Amino acid sequence: MSYVFDLERSARGLRLNRFLHGLTSAGKRKLFLENPDEALKDLSPQEKDMVRRLDWKAMQDYGASFFCLEKLARTKGVSNPEMVAHFRGETLEQFLKTRRVPGAR
Amino acid sequence: MARIIGGIGTSHVPTIAMAFDKGKQDDPDWKPLFRGYEPVAKWLAEKKPDVLFFCFNDHATTFFFDHYPTFALGVSGEYRIADEGLGTRNIPPLRGHVGLSRHIARSLVDDEFDLTIFQDLPLDHGLHSPLTMMWPKAPDWPGAVIPLVVNVIQQPLPTPRRCFRLGKSIRKAVESYPGDLKVAMVGTGGLSHQMIGERAGFNDENWDREFLGLIERDRERLAAMTIEDFMRRGGNEGAEVIMWLIMRGALDAQAKKLHQNYYLPMTTAMAVALFE
Repeated sequence: MSYVFDLERSARGLRLNRFLHGLTSAGKRKLFLENPDEALKDLSPQEKDMVRRLDWKAMQDYGASFFCLEKLARTKGVSNPEMVAHFRGETLEQFLKTRRVPGAR
Repeated sequence: MARIIGGIGTSHVPTIAMAFDKGKQDDPDWKPLFRGYEPVAKWLAEKKPDVLFFCFNDHATTFFFDHYPTFALGVSGEYRIADEGLGTRNIPPLRGHVGLSRHIARSLVDDEFDLTIFQDLPLDHGLHSPLTMMWPKAPDWPGAVIPLVVNVIQQPLPTPRRCFRLGKSIRKAVESYPGDLKVAMVGTGGLSHQMIGERAGFNDENWDREFLGLIERDRERLAAMTIEDFMRRGGNEGAEVIMWLIMRGALDAQAKKLHQNYYLPMTTAMAVALFE
């Protein structure tokens, strides 16, 4: 139960989640892909670093909502199984070996 | 008088919509899923409900944590498809039912469910990932949808019992509408999955099978469980199956399950069940 997204996490992650949620706008995705400095300017140095490195686990631990992380993943062409593998500390290949139908993604 | 003719429980995994949009109906990895929806699509084509009442959740797409409603009812005549980071799906905008949705809003508030009311907002895959498996999108949708958005992503969540009672109240609301309409309930979510933390990738088929039995036969037992019970048995994100309890609460206690399909290919157990 350690990763329950509650009001404490939501408050801690609000600024980061706001940026991630903004990627539902095509204009903000374009800006992020073409000029990340400008797109990330409202974030703290730590937040910018996690986003730039696509460090899914660090963002999750920091207070990012999984559903906001999905917006960044779609923008960067990363699939949910890749994110889940990262949270588990596995490679995608290792994770897929634990699945019943590895091709269904 | 409007009446509820049955209910559907269904997963709303985004990859279902991706598989649909990529035309994977006959792909061996996806065929068991698509086949499982055929009896539901057939039932809808035969019974021709005017309205599908959808209990689902937004995924921090249209609603954000700066103001996050527990229960939000849509009352628009039309809903756009939301952009979730990949552009919008190539499906028509959804038609709403203004008269019935406004009536339900008034009736539920009278019954002490103090809802958030929204209009003119786009809707995400929580609704239209299962919708395209069940209802033809061309030439246009066969009927209208009424969206009820439930908070299952930021704790505190509504209790399972509250969801069950809301279903009962929705039934009263529908049955007090003067127009002659057929309504089918849809409860979405699950089944077992966890997307975060060390337990990411968790599933429990035994719990899923038990849930699929209880939702037909013993809804009181599910309503008596806590959110923590649901998270422990079905994974943190799997607790969203409380939205099936809204659907089930709106049906007769004696409603029978006509069909069920279960498929667990990747991270989320994908289920669909039909009740009448």
